[in-house]
Amino acid sequence: MKENSFKMFLFLSEILGRRVIGSQGKLVGKMVDMKARLGELFPKINFLCLKAKGERNTFLINWEDVQTINENIIKLKEKTIEKTSPVETEEMEILLAKEILDKQVVDTLGAKVERVNDVHLLLSEGELRIVHVDIGLRGILRRLKWTRWVDAVTNWLFAYQIRDKLISVKHIQPVASDPERKTLKLTVILRKLSEIHPSDLADILEELDKHERKAVFESLDVETAAETLEEVNPKVGISLIESEAEPLASDILEEMAPDEAVDLLLSLPEEKKEKLIKEMDKGVREKLRELLKFSEGTAGSIMTVEYLSLSQDGTMTEALEKFKNSTDPLETTSYIYLTDEDEKLVGVSTLRQLVLNPSQKKLSELMNKDVIKLNINDDIDEVTDAFKKYKLMALPVVDDENHLKGIITLRDAVDAAFPEFQD
Amino acid sequence: MGSILSKSRWRWLIVFLAILGPGIITSNVDNDAGGIAVYSIAGAHFGYSFIWSLIPIFLVLIVIQEMSARLGVVSGKGLSDLIREKFGVRVTFYLLLALVITNFGNIIAEFAGIASALEIFDVSRFFSVPIGAILVWLLVVKGTYKSVEKVFLVACLFYITYIISGFMAKPDWNMVAQSVVNPKFDLTSGSLTMLVGLVGTTIAPWMQFYLQSAVVEKNIKLKEYKNSRVDVIMGSFIVNIVAFFIIVVCAATLFKAGIKIETAKDAALALAPLAGKYCSVLFAFGLLNASLFAASILPLSTAFVVCEGMGWENGVNKKFYEAPQFYLLYSLLIFAGAGFILLPGLPLFPIMFVTQVLNGILLPFILIFILILINDKKIMGEYVNKKGFNIFAWVVSGILIMLSFLMLISLLG
Repeated sequence: MKENSFKMFLFLSEILGRRVIGSQGKLVGKMVDMKARLGELFPKINFLCLKAKGERNTFLINWEDVQTINENIIKLKEKTIEKTSPVETEEMEILLAKEILDKQVVDTLGAKVERVNDVHLLLSEGELRIVHVDIGLRGILRRLKWTRWVDAVTNWLFAYQIRDKLISVKHIQPVASDPERKTLKLTVILRKLSEIHPSDLADILEELDKHERKAVFESLDVETAAETLEEVNPKVGISLIESEAEPLASDILEEMAPDEAVDLLLSLPEEKKEKLIKEMDKGVREKLRELLKFSEGTAGSIMTVEYLSLSQDGTMTEALEKFKNSTDPLETTSYIYLTDEDEKLVGVSTLRQLVLNPSQKKLSELMNKDVIKLNINDDIDEVTDAFKKYKLMALPVVDDENHLKGIITLRDAVDAAFPEFQD
Repeated sequence: MGSILSKSRWRWLIVFLAILGPGIITSNVDNDAGGIAVYSIAGAHFGYSFIWSLIPIFLVLIVIQEMSARLGVVSGKGLSDLIREKFGVRVTFYLLLALVITNFGNIIAEFAGIASALEIFDVSRFFSVPIGAILVWLLVVKGTYKSVEKVFLVACLFYITYIISGFMAKPDWNMVAQSVVNPKFDLTSGSLTMLVGLVGTTIAPWMQFYLQSAVVEKNIKLKEYKNSRVDVIMGSFIVNIVAFFIIVVCAATLFKAGIKIETAKDAALALAPLAGKYCSVLFAFGLLNASLFAASILPLSTAFVVCEGMGWENGVNKKFYEAPQFYLLYSLLIFAGAGFILLPGLPLFPIMFVTQVLNGILLPFILIFILILINDKKIMGEYVNKKGFNIFAWVVSGILIMLSFLMLISLLG
């Protein structure tokens, strides 16, 4: 097709099912599919898949052997046709009709799951490339062969025509996974997925079926996977972590906020839970074990152990240093909690106090000694009441001996009081 | 003592609610207005002669529902989703169109049920139907449906009245046994239509879509699949036991007295042996519950299935502007279905019956799609049908198609 230098757009639906003829005008077969090579931004078609009359198997025609292709005619060059059958795809190849058309894809720009109604191709410089997928109503109408009369009706009634809704192939990630391979295709462009915000990724996962969900989840790096797991609907989260192999699942749980990780662990079968905890680093393991002890519906069960604490003998500068080095989210670091030599809670300082008065003064001189705190056995109502009353960003949680055990942030409290906010 | 008793009663209720799986819920929705109408007419107009049909219907129901549940568990996808991915948008569109029309018929039947039930208390349908429609619409859109579902389910225990009534009416068990052991069937259009109606109401096409979605939604694992099978068999059993007793009690009372059912009041008389002069009240309550229950599920399930197949956003947790097609279709099905009942001079009971015949005509086609999908190794892996199972299922589809065909010929000729 080198001699064609003009540009032309084609829809897959317009050429599927067309008769393909040889140079002598003899029927070679019917177009059933096209195979594209992945890796480039706009994947190039390298084979046509045809089916001869009365034969079961499909065979391939090399793109080099195609003379003309448009919505009216597909003609091959003069050459003996090599039939290689049956059609199979390798790692870096994709079948358009079988693996993209009518399947679900992730639109990474809009962060949504969409169903492909048609595939938009561009013929240019003798090469046919995938440029868009069609996800709109017009694509459905085209496949139903209703475009002409629907256009006539809408033109006549509203002087309007339903327009194409196309997404650039740059922004799509196919998710159809075949059950044998259990992996996603197009690993090259997978990084696109990690550019999506974790809470959008969570929505996407919820819309996919369990195989696709697993494949997409496994393609994420540990950090993104952990953040996504924090956002996803608990039912989906449990099934994801349950179906994951232990070392990886443990890694992901380690990356999560401890209170979120505990929520997930608590919903798993005992045996699986133990296995996962065993695989973790010692530090995280102990933290989680501590949290796991608290019964559901108490302050202990919703608190997090990511907080800042220091001995009351420390200085203001030391405390500020601690803030600077913390990688925990802001909401858990708006206060620094101060303890005595027995780890008992004796005071609290705010971030503001530290920023405004950095000095070598001892914290015990500046700290607020009248700490508002929760007991690990307080129930959710008591927790929410305390937040309502004191309007603080976070509250410390102590045990019966006043040992500091964790903190509850406003967000944790809202999540516990209104579980529907979590979805 | 009293508190212990009530405690154990509560525990029993909790256990009952806990074992409820998709199969049992589906089967209780299946005994809807159309179901009550068809079974009542079968008993009242044909006596015991259709009892035999419940045995093959029971077997076929188990086989089909088991396949739907298995498709859902293994693929993790809904039925319309699978059909779209395997057969493309053209086939999906026309199939869904047929399903929407059939389900719309069923929705009309549910509103006919609401109207009939309340007409027993002299409540005008121009009052009961619009209220019912708005109630159902709000129930789902406001997200309160899930909490009301349990109430509907417990109210389904109402069907026990048919069982008690069945014994009190002293049916001729000899004739019941005769019908089973020595089934008789003629090829008149009346009998054929009755049989297609019985099949269509018991094994409704919408059930397969609904069941599969419910199984997917529940996220049942392959390991737990055995439980789902029990759930499906239990559900099929409940449907058929209820059907059996409605037919028997109608045969023992109405058929014996030569009463042809024209209105809900006629059908209510079947409960007279148990409830005496209150039979109408009891019947009205049961019919109302069944109709409201199914009217809450059918439009929702239809809109869901269509949007899933066409690739439109769906679900009640979406806002209207996010899923316009879903909400429009859902609302249209409810309000057009309710509006249809308000057309003047409509006979309600025949409507409930005819819509079930429509179900029976569509069923074999749905069954063929299920069979092709479940035998696809790419989707099902090692969970494809076993050979014997397959032969049975294909023979069943053949018989069902033939039955519909014979019925249409007999109706024309």
